[in-house]
Amino acid sequence: MSNLEKRSITLTVNGHNHELVVEPRKLLADALREDCRLTGTHVGCEHGVCGACTVLVDGKPVRSCLTYAIQMEGHAVSTIESVAVDGALSPLQQALHEEHGLQCGFCTPGIVMTFEAFLKHTPEPSEEEIRDVLSGNLCRCTGYQNIVKAVQKAAEQMRRNPDYVAP
Amino acid sequence: MSHPEFRHIGQHLPRKEDYRLLTGRGRYVDDIEVPGALHACFVRSPHAHARIVSIDRDAAARMPGVVAIVTGQELALWTNRQRMAPPIDGLQPMEMDTLPTATVRFQGDPVACVIATDRYVAEDAAEQVNVAYEVLPAVTTMWQALEPDSPRVDESLTSNLLSHQHADHGDVAARKREAHRVIESTFSQHRQTHLPIETRGCIALWDAGREHLTFHVGTQVPHPYRTTLASRLRLSESQVTVISQDVGGGFGQKIALYREELTVAAVARHLQRPVRWREDRLENLLSSSQAREDFCRTRAAVSAEGRLLGLELEIVEDFGAYSFYPGNYLARVVAMILTGPYRVQDYSYDVKVVLSNKVGNGPMRAPMAITSWVMDGTMDAIARALDLDPVAVRRLNMLQPQEFPYTMATGEVLADITPRETLEGALAAIDYEHFRQRQQQARAQGVYLGLGICTVVESTTYGSRFYKAAGIAGSGHEAAWLRIEPSGAVNASVGLGATGQGYETSLAHAVAEGLGIVPQQVHLHIGHTDIAPYGMGSRGARGGTAGGGTLYLCAQEAQVKVLAIAAELLGLSDSVGLRLQDGRVERIDNGEWTATGLGLADVARTAYLDPLALPAGMSPGLEFHKTYEPPPMTYSNSTHVCEVEVDVTTGAIRFARYVVAEDCGTVLSPVVVEGQQHGAIAMGLSGALYEHVQYDETGQNLSGTLADYLMATAYELPHFEIIPMHTPNRATPAGIKGMAEGGVMGAIGALTNAVNDALAPFDVVATQQPLTPMYLRGLLRDKSVSINKA
Repeated sequence: MSNLEKRSITLTVNGHNHELVVEPRKLLADALREDCRLTGTHVGCEHGVCGACTVLVDGKPVRSCLTYAIQMEGHAVSTIESVAVDGALSPLQQALHEEHGLQCGFCTPGIVMTFEAFLKHTPEPSEEEIRDVLSGNLCRCTGYQNIVKAVQKAAEQMRRNPDYVAP
Repeated sequence: MSHPEFRHIGQHLPRKEDYRLLTGRGRYVDDIEVPGALHACFVRSPHAHARIVSIDRDAAARMPGVVAIVTGQELALWTNRQRMAPPIDGLQPMEMDTLPTATVRFQGDPVACVIATDRYVAEDAAEQVNVAYEVLPAVTTMWQALEPDSPRVDESLTSNLLSHQHADHGDVAARKREAHRVIESTFSQHRQTHLPIETRGCIALWDAGREHLTFHVGTQVPHPYRTTLASRLRLSESQVTVISQDVGGGFGQKIALYREELTVAAVARHLQRPVRWREDRLENLLSSSQAREDFCRTRAAVSAEGRLLGLELEIVEDFGAYSFYPGNYLARVVAMILTGPYRVQDYSYDVKVVLSNKVGNGPMRAPMAITSWVMDGTMDAIARALDLDPVAVRRLNMLQPQEFPYTMATGEVLADITPRETLEGALAAIDYEHFRQRQQQARAQGVYLGLGICTVVESTTYGSRFYKAAGIAGSGHEAAWLRIEPSGAVNASVGLGATGQGYETSLAHAVAEGLGIVPQQVHLHIGHTDIAPYGMGSRGARGGTAGGGTLYLCAQEAQVKVLAIAAELLGLSDSVGLRLQDGRVERIDNGEWTATGLGLADVARTAYLDPLALPAGMSPGLEFHKTYEPPPMTYSNSTHVCEVEVDVTTGAIRFARYVVAEDCGTVLSPVVVEGQQHGAIAMGLSGALYEHVQYDETGQNLSGTLADYLMATAYELPHFEIIPMHTPNRATPAGIKGMAEGGVMGAIGALTNAVNDALAPFDVVATQQPLTPMYLRGLLRDKSVSINKA
């Protein structure tokens, strides 16, 4: 059972260091939720399909259900809790709110993290591109249409005003 | 969309729920921290049907961190069995253990529960529980279930035919004799599952001192759930509190009290320690309720012009292994409302519901989903058989506005619906006449376009009288309370269970309208059985009419008292000529509404803190409670029109356009309603195209991952064009009709009808779903274009 022996690791999440003692098999998603008490990252399938658990690792979207916490030492993890700064929604979050891009909200954190990263390198996405990227996140409530609209709106907002802070 | 007489109902306001959900601060069951909670994991049957010979838990029990392992034997001592035996003609009563003690009935059936200090440990230990089984032959199709020598799923029943109902209205046999043709069509819908992105889960906290259970669970029906949970645990309803905060989707899967949840509650009480469980996706796909899997056959007696003279319907539904609901609960509704927008008085139906070794069925968003496909598919079959235009056949048979209220053959009354208007609205939007020209031109190029039409009459608010008429146990009433606090803050509650519908927003519109304040001032408190009044929860599409309607009525009563107090404070003899508008008391003066200087807060302060200033005889405080029984049934209607291109060489379907014209009455929140329309259409299309719970011939579930159970993504779904054509219902508070399931019904029908329209030149008809490329290619193999249809 030596492979189950707990190890001490340092996890850098949203700019803070968390000292954790975890089994090597502990999923990043579980470590974030249980050890860092950041429950905004949701677990929907535990096999990498639904995208609800998407977080950013060094700025890139990663399925935290397919990642072990110990693999993340030396990397910067960002979760949904870091997106709104001082309580102010990001342009993407604000657009999702305005366009009714969420219903039950369970898949929403994964979608926000996916597109926060996407919009940084694709400031002018087409609907086709948005739908393509969004196909990595399952949403059972919205039929996706308003999410697509929200991403378009956020992109426009960000292009027009790169320093935008939501009201 | 907003009705001129309304100030807040129908206004476009973003949702109140969004901020916490967008920032990762929602509170879904698994987000609730409970110090010291133990974790449950279930040991499940690998067989579809088997006798439990023995359960060896020694190895698992010795593992560090394992606290307890319980089986059906212990649970039988701690809990009551479920008995599903409403007095319904043709329905066999069924019973169910908390966990099976003798026989497992589907792959995934839980046989033991491991309780450990950590979820990882509990899962490890569950693998070490050794269950010996004697495998029994399994029933894996509805047709096998009906064979006389079929294995029996439930030995205590006389056969696998759980429920059988038949009704004859008018004289269908005579109509068939008189008919120009009798046209037979079949429709097969496959097994699907609800797939909320949040799986099930629960936390049980037993307070041994108070002898009280606090139970966190995502549920659509907090109070009925509590009633069942308390009764199964042999507790009173005073001893159980059910709390359902944010819920990651339900769609019908989070209504029943499942055996896993009951087990967790019983074990927490037994151990006197908190226990939590979160279902994983494999368990969700293997053992949470499933749905659909029904076969329908219609025989339509028609005149030479295509007029429907009489109609026969047969339904067979595969209900799975257990009765979490009465067997007739789903299919009977299809039979009762089938004829929907079409005129026919000679109608008979035969509904058989059978047991099989699969997961027990539950209502899934639009339990009656197949209805509109069957009816509009029958219209298309008539058109094909008689070489008529499918729109002409619909126009001939569809009820005219002056025929409403229309009593359907089954006795159900359709009132205040507008199917002809939505049909014409949707056809105009898609430019039907021009489409037929384009279709001809495209066919000449070897491109196969199809246009499918499906008009939906959606049963929305099920009143108690409908349940009774359908032989279904249940009530359709709802309850609400409203409290104006001393500061003028407004709290309200209703017995619904939110799973993403945005009630905190849409229902605030109903309260604001009824009371005379702004929606932002209203705070809804739902999903807690000690706080909310006993209501029937969220199922069907009852939230708007039953929930919103009750709150609206309750708020109107509150306004009467507020204005009576205001009149007293203003020194008036009564409140005639006063109104509350956005929280301010106004008085009519020469036809002009003018401010009185009084506001809701002034009235509230008086009501609570200066009761001697109230009108003589009036009781202090501003607390209101209301229950409301809706009409037997309310209906919404819509017409879906879908244009597709079918690639006949690959069987692939490409959407060109998707248009819906819908009348769902007074709309509380257009934002929320449009979101519900999108979601319902998406679920319908996804189900008709991809989603399939597949069992092999031995009853092994072949769809245990999301790579096998395919749900449509943003890439596969079309842009939905929605045309609001709302008209109020005259029998409900504020004219609300309810909605949210019709999108599924219309999507299934419009898409399949479109595919069949595209394939018409090949003389083939898709009669089953999902419409996979393999299935369509199978139909087309060896087929060529018929000369006269090219």
